[in-house]
Amino acid sequence: MTVYDLGAIAPLLVLAGGACVVLLADLVFRADERVWAGLGAAFAVAAAVTALVLGPGDDGFGSEIRRDGASVFFAIVIGASTAAALLLAIGYVAPARLPAAEVTALTLFSASGGLLLASAGDLLVAFIGLELLSIPLYALTGLLHGARHADESSLKYFLLGAAASAVFAYGIALIYASTDSIAIGSLASATSPIGLAGIAFLLAGLAFKAALVPFHFWAPDAYVSAPTPATAFMAVVAKVGAFAALLRIGGAVTAPGVAGLDWRASLAVLAAITLVLANLAALGQSSLKRLLAYSSIAHAGYICVAVAAGVVASGAIAFYLVVYAALTVGAFGVITLLSNDDPTLDDLHGLARRRPLVVIALGVLLLGLAGLPPTAGFLAKVYVFEAAIGARLAWLVILAVLMSVVSAAYYLRVLFACLAEGEGEPARGPSIGGGVVVLAALAIIVVGIVPGPLLDAVQSVRF
Amino acid sequence: MIASALVALPLVAAALCAAPLLSRWSRTIAAVASLAVAVVAFATVVVPLATDARISWAAVLGASYIVDVDGVSAIFITLGGVVFAVGAAASAHVPHRRAYFALWCLLVAAVDGVFVARDLGLFFVFWEAMLVPLAILMWQWGGADRRGATIRFLLYTMAGSALLLVGVVSVAVARGTLDIDALAARPVPASAQLLPALLFLAAFAVKLPLFPFHAWLPRAYVAAPIPVALALSGIVAKTAVYAIIRIGLGLFPEGVAQAAPALVALAAVGTLYGALLATRQDDLRRLIAFSSLSHLNLIGLAVFAATLTSLRGAVVASVSHGLVVAALFLLAAMLARRTSSFALSRAGGLASSAPVLTAFSTLAVIAAIGVPGTSGFAGEFLSLAGTYERYPAAAITATLVVIVAAVYGLGLVRRAFHGPPLATGPDLGWRERALVAPLLALVLVVGAAPWIVTDHVGQEIVPASLGAR
Repeated sequence: MTVYDLGAIAPLLVLAGGACVVLLADLVFRADERVWAGLGAAFAVAAAVTALVLGPGDDGFGSEIRRDGASVFFAIVIGASTAAALLLAIGYVAPARLPAAEVTALTLFSASGGLLLASAGDLLVAFIGLELLSIPLYALTGLLHGARHADESSLKYFLLGAAASAVFAYGIALIYASTDSIAIGSLASATSPIGLAGIAFLLAGLAFKAALVPFHFWAPDAYVSAPTPATAFMAVVAKVGAFAALLRIGGAVTAPGVAGLDWRASLAVLAAITLVLANLAALGQSSLKRLLAYSSIAHAGYICVAVAAGVVASGAIAFYLVVYAALTVGAFGVITLLSNDDPTLDDLHGLARRRPLVVIALGVLLLGLAGLPPTAGFLAKVYVFEAAIGARLAWLVILAVLMSVVSAAYYLRVLFACLAEGEGEPARGPSIGGGVVVLAALAIIVVGIVPGPLLDAVQSVRF
Repeated sequence: MIASALVALPLVAAALCAAPLLSRWSRTIAAVASLAVAVVAFATVVVPLATDARISWAAVLGASYIVDVDGVSAIFITLGGVVFAVGAAASAHVPHRRAYFALWCLLVAAVDGVFVARDLGLFFVFWEAMLVPLAILMWQWGGADRRGATIRFLLYTMAGSALLLVGVVSVAVARGTLDIDALAARPVPASAQLLPALLFLAAFAVKLPLFPFHAWLPRAYVAAPIPVALALSGIVAKTAVYAIIRIGLGLFPEGVAQAAPALVALAAVGTLYGALLATRQDDLRRLIAFSSLSHLNLIGLAVFAATLTSLRGAVVASVSHGLVVAALFLLAAMLARRTSSFALSRAGGLASSAPVLTAFSTLAVIAAIGVPGTSGFAGEFLSLAGTYERYPAAAITATLVVIVAAVYGLGLVRRAFHGPPLATGPDLGWRERALVAPLLALVLVVGAAPWIVTDHVGQEIVPASLGAR
């Protein structure tokens, strides 16, 4: 192992090492959830800082683990969102009677898997990342005893997830049979029917993690029954990892001069189906968590619009993922502030009177999710649409903007429910979670008004 | 610099309105800020000042922060300031006043932004930003039908904006910049203009609303609180007029010209259709709504005709309609306070007990139906005369509206104020007079001296490629 190898996996080591530290310390010390989740958040931030300080450089382990602009960028996003999700857990795990140290350790392990997936240079490493990302998530989903159908959705998630992993592994086998290599860079030469089938299996496995329709059936159930901070984590980090890997594979397959099938068309179709079905399904939801679950599937659709445009859109995808991460953590964060873990829209009545600041923050987040200016959500959509128009996908863009009108209808329903008179669920007092929500909303507004620095930063995301 | 101040001023006012300590003064703050916007905007056409500003914003996306005020923008902003000031002043006794007036000021800022933006991306930001305060004001403070009306209004306008966004994005990709002046200086080839023109016009047609995209209008006007209905009709609808002139004609003159025969026909039909429906209304707000539909379609007709005279007419008619509809909504609310209903059938014979109310209403109606001497006449005459130069058939059809307008306008005056005294009530108090009198005074001033407005609408407003024909 050389120093380059260490540099490539340093953020990963911080995350996984942090998880081990938390687990072992839990055996020795007695402490409350603030210590464990706070410690976990500190490790996550440390991972992000490590990635930022080390910066891009030579790949490690013979290019099996990449250290390019993209993996640095996604390490920072994953570290920051993990920290935010753990801070949300501080006011949450004690009332829900969850084991704080275990939740923290599982979250950190899963984050390290997301990071490995995002920086994988060959398919086997990607597979390990995928599993490391997923297995702690299965456990997290089933942790909340007493939640409706927690065991059922955890099992469903596990079985479907295992099937998706198997599909991914089978894809690797077919690729290896076709090209004698498992490096992502050599995917372009998989032009035989067997190789093409392999690539299709890889895409299907990642589409499952990214919760694209029709591979999304696990997502609403898992999102609703998981503890809410874990939902926020799952909705962000699993997607970031999956889309990063999708971009790497997509980039290799559609690189210039490659005479294979154009996979972008099938991704465009996936994006279209996802946008239509997820947005229409979200319209009819009365549970806020389920509504946000479908909304997060819909956002995967918007990102997929840009993926369909090809690698030229990697800046747009990175920008969208950052904005989506802040929006999602913030929106699920609002749920952690309520005393009911699965609130209906009616439970939000009167919230504007009781917690005006939280409702203003939620309002900003909902406008951002709907893609309305002056939030960063608007710029993210514009960036994605410009990439797609540039790739001659005008039909997809028209569909996507019409679907964002539909999405505005259900986001505004949430906002109007908060404004309605009535006695809904009592909200918990001011907490760190409330601070995270307000911070997320503030970030969304600030980036919407001064997007320059972030727009410059995503230009460095290259594969 | 000044253009940015026109947006920043109401934003600061919004923050002040929301401040708990100033809650007693929030109405005054909102009204004064709106009036200040009007004064500053009008000052820019009188005194030459540096108005523009240019800051890099989202260069990767092609969007920048570019703002400027020219004559046409200044006229619309001045009108907006007056209408918003009157609307704020008329919002007495609203519950949750801090939130109400803060949203009101945000709406003022967004509308001002639409009129000063010189970058398509920035324009879209302000265009969409108008929606949120409007929707919350309607939803939270509206009347019985507010829920359905708000949702319908939102869905219609957002569907329009969705196509607008596609238009903006495709311009950004095709041209690499969204600077309106730079784009106007180098227009796309005439053959490639129709599609983008239609994408942009879709949003503007819904917001105006051009017949037959008006299904949201009567419900929204009836369900919204009176000051919001006044702002919606008085100035928010005018953002569409301005946008068709600045963006539709400015960037895609040939495209608009290719679509113009169809658009002109729709507008002419809408002019007559709105007026005919107005004759059948009993609810005052619905009557004003359909009369507005008629006027706004007439303005649309003049804009699509795109001659210098018709465009000047459209701007004068916009100013006139903004002032008149504000006065009409205020007078309707005052009448309803005396008869406990907006129904005309519940009023009658008020002339004997409320002579000033009768006189003010009669003057407002006379201006609305375009009697010479009022601003309504100047606007209608210039619009129709200008349209006749290019589309005589549509102009003649639309001219019939003068007859129909007299039927609903004079019918309103007769049913509410004359005949047997079914209703009685006190005459207007000094506060009520102070609200309406300035509007009516401006109506008479613009009617007597329309060049106050037309002088600032220069030849450059007509696209060069169309002026030659």
